[in-house]
Amino acid sequence: MTPRAAPSRLNREVSMKKTLFLLFALSLLAGCQHRPVGTFSPDPGTSKPLTVVLPTTAEPAAGFDPAFGWGAGEHVHEPLIQSTLTVTNADLTIGYDLADSMEVSGDGLTWTVKIRDDVKFTDGEPLTAEDVAFTYNTVKAASSVSDFTMLDYAEAADGTTVLFHMTRPFSIWPYTMAITGILPEHSYDPASYGANPIGSGRYILQQWDRGQQVILEANPAYYGAQPRMEQVTILFMEEDAAFLAVQAGQADLAYTSAAYSDQGVNGFSLLSVRTVDNRGINIALADGSPLDAPAVRAAINRGIDRQAMIDHVLNGYGTPAYSVCDELPWYNPVSEVAYDPEGSRAVLNGKGISLTVHYPAGDSVRQGLAAELANQLGELGIEADIKGVGWDTAYDDARYNPLIWGWGTHTPMELYNLHHSGPTQYVLYSSKAVDAYMDQALACTDLEESYALWQQAQEEIARDVPWVWLVNVDHLYWVRGGLHVAEQKLHPHGHGWSIVNNVDQWSWE
Amino acid sequence: MKNRRRNTLFFIILAGTALCSVTLAGGLLYEGAAAADFAQKNLPPCPAHPFGTDWMGRDMLRRTLAGLSLSVRVGGLTAAVSAAAALVLGGAAAAFGGWVDALISWITDLVMGIPHILLIILISIACGRGLWGVTIGVALSHWTSLARLIRGEVLQLKGAPYLQLARRLGVSRGRLVKNHLLLHLMPQFLTGLILQFPHAILHEASVTFLGFGLSPEQPAIGIILAESMGYLTTGRWWLALFPGLSLVGAVMLFALAGERLRLLLSPATAQD
Repeated sequence: MTPRAAPSRLNREVSMKKTLFLLFALSLLAGCQHRPVGTFSPDPGTSKPLTVVLPTTAEPAAGFDPAFGWGAGEHVHEPLIQSTLTVTNADLTIGYDLADSMEVSGDGLTWTVKIRDDVKFTDGEPLTAEDVAFTYNTVKAASSVSDFTMLDYAEAADGTTVLFHMTRPFSIWPYTMAITGILPEHSYDPASYGANPIGSGRYILQQWDRGQQVILEANPAYYGAQPRMEQVTILFMEEDAAFLAVQAGQADLAYTSAAYSDQGVNGFSLLSVRTVDNRGINIALADGSPLDAPAVRAAINRGIDRQAMIDHVLNGYGTPAYSVCDELPWYNPVSEVAYDPEGSRAVLNGKGISLTVHYPAGDSVRQGLAAELANQLGELGIEADIKGVGWDTAYDDARYNPLIWGWGTHTPMELYNLHHSGPTQYVLYSSKAVDAYMDQALACTDLEESYALWQQAQEEIARDVPWVWLVNVDHLYWVRGGLHVAEQKLHPHGHGWSIVNNVDQWSWE
Repeated sequence: MKNRRRNTLFFIILAGTALCSVTLAGGLLYEGAAAADFAQKNLPPCPAHPFGTDWMGRDMLRRTLAGLSLSVRVGGLTAAVSAAAALVLGGAAAAFGGWVDALISWITDLVMGIPHILLIILISIACGRGLWGVTIGVALSHWTSLARLIRGEVLQLKGAPYLQLARRLGVSRGRLVKNHLLLHLMPQFLTGLILQFPHAILHEASVTFLGFGLSPEQPAIGIILAESMGYLTTGRWWLALFPGLSLVGAVMLFALAGERLRLLLSPATAQD
């Protein structure tokens, strides 16, 4: 996550929601009419339109502009409206979208990417290497959400060749290329592009009613396989409203959470998508903490009954988590531990350890996880209680108290950010060996090789246990009978746009 | 109505008992109120859990009682602070007049001019949120109307013939205040004091409902009601109904007791 911005926004939105609820109640008293959220009625003859409900937090505040975070950041997803150079495959290895080939120089400082020559923006202009270079230089200058400090500048060598000059070797550059939508140089205006994006992707933005809905229409001139869903309407709703919309049959697919999973809705089934949307606690704390010993931390890691946690808090919709990157190509299964309450109790009991587990106030899943964790720690001989905190104080408090975090994204950079002793640090942990492996991984010129180095770093991390990972939270959706949702890759943190990554391949039976 | 005295006494005793027992029960149950037991989650009301349990298996009766006891304690403290402040400020404004009166009236108007809920949120955040933030916020925002009332009353009494007469007859200033002024102020004062209660309780609940007060694992009526909103669509009616009714019950009890006391103590209606 880019946790500094998003969660506090979430908190605000929770209070906002309550305020709105009060206002809404007042407006009912005053006899006001709430404007109904309309579903688009299709022209007869076109294929059946699709209505998808996403959370209100998924609506991009700055619009659909990759330079201002569309597709990138905390909740990565494919930009749909724009093309990208690369894509992440179902197994999170790298595939090609615009790119035909890519290679990196021996010193890792120059990437050469060849792009296809048959791509046009939806305004009819061809997409060239100039547009790609322009995009990356623009995104670097805007530097809103993504980190582009490793890029010096991009240039077009000819119409179909782009050169990326790097400031430092960055082997996982293809993962950055997978989330950067390409802008049209000839018509790009940062002031208006977000609301009126021109791209070359699978869909065209037809209409955007802020705070309400987005209507996407298939791009007839798309260079790849023609999208099977002609028209996709995205509605933004709170969780309870989304559930009511499903009950009323106003949506074909709507996000939901474990709290609703025991409800049945006629004509809809529950779709559970596996994720790396993990929750975990940092337990390498400031000096003097009773957890300042790897043996103690490892004992806690072994003593957590993750399956019980999933059954209790997530109604069974989750998988045990052992790292920030479970099941991704750079994951090392050595992180996995067997549940061993006796062994754990033998280490922890009688040590008189007491902890306060913090969680972000207003996040009921994390509150439930914190409560369950405190119960389990109690059985291991650790006196634990819980406390809800705001993001304004959570970061500083996390130096002294474990906090329930949520992470999980489609690049190894997160592993780096959470464990490297460099400037971006969320945990008081430093290991020379881990630093060295990860620096080598970034300096590598071969992606496959770098995976092995990331895995070696995790071997060291598994010995030190700076984090205890608890669960990966499944993403749940109500799906109308007859709608076939294409196979999903592991969703990252954030229950938003990921589900429609491949909406072009969905179909009606 | 010849039995108004008994009636009123009954209500006051009832309110007092409820106040004490809720505070006591809430204090005793506070620890257990936050304990999650996932084996018992989402149970509708049953003999073991008369108010049902929530999504973390917390007993709603315990949470409600602990929440109400917090409300009652906040209400009590608020009433005490408000009453003291009102008596001192209102009395001083009326007794000294001049610039003291102008200043106190100006402060009263200022505090009254800001909507209660905003003022409470501001003070609560400034005091570092949490239990004390809410308590101080509510306590510091409710004294104004009573202070105004007392000021008006003292001003009126100052000119009353029996007081003028007593002063001419050489009654000392202290005795004058104690025997004649304070005694006369008692009905307004007591009624105002008791009627502060429902106000304070409702405001405490509102602030915690909006999420500006306590953190979500702490029991407070507002937090319980805010949480229950998310579960209404899934048919868990007991999460909102019983805590809501308890809050309404507590507020009604004090409002009725205060109203009856007013009727009884006010000379115009005491003999009805």
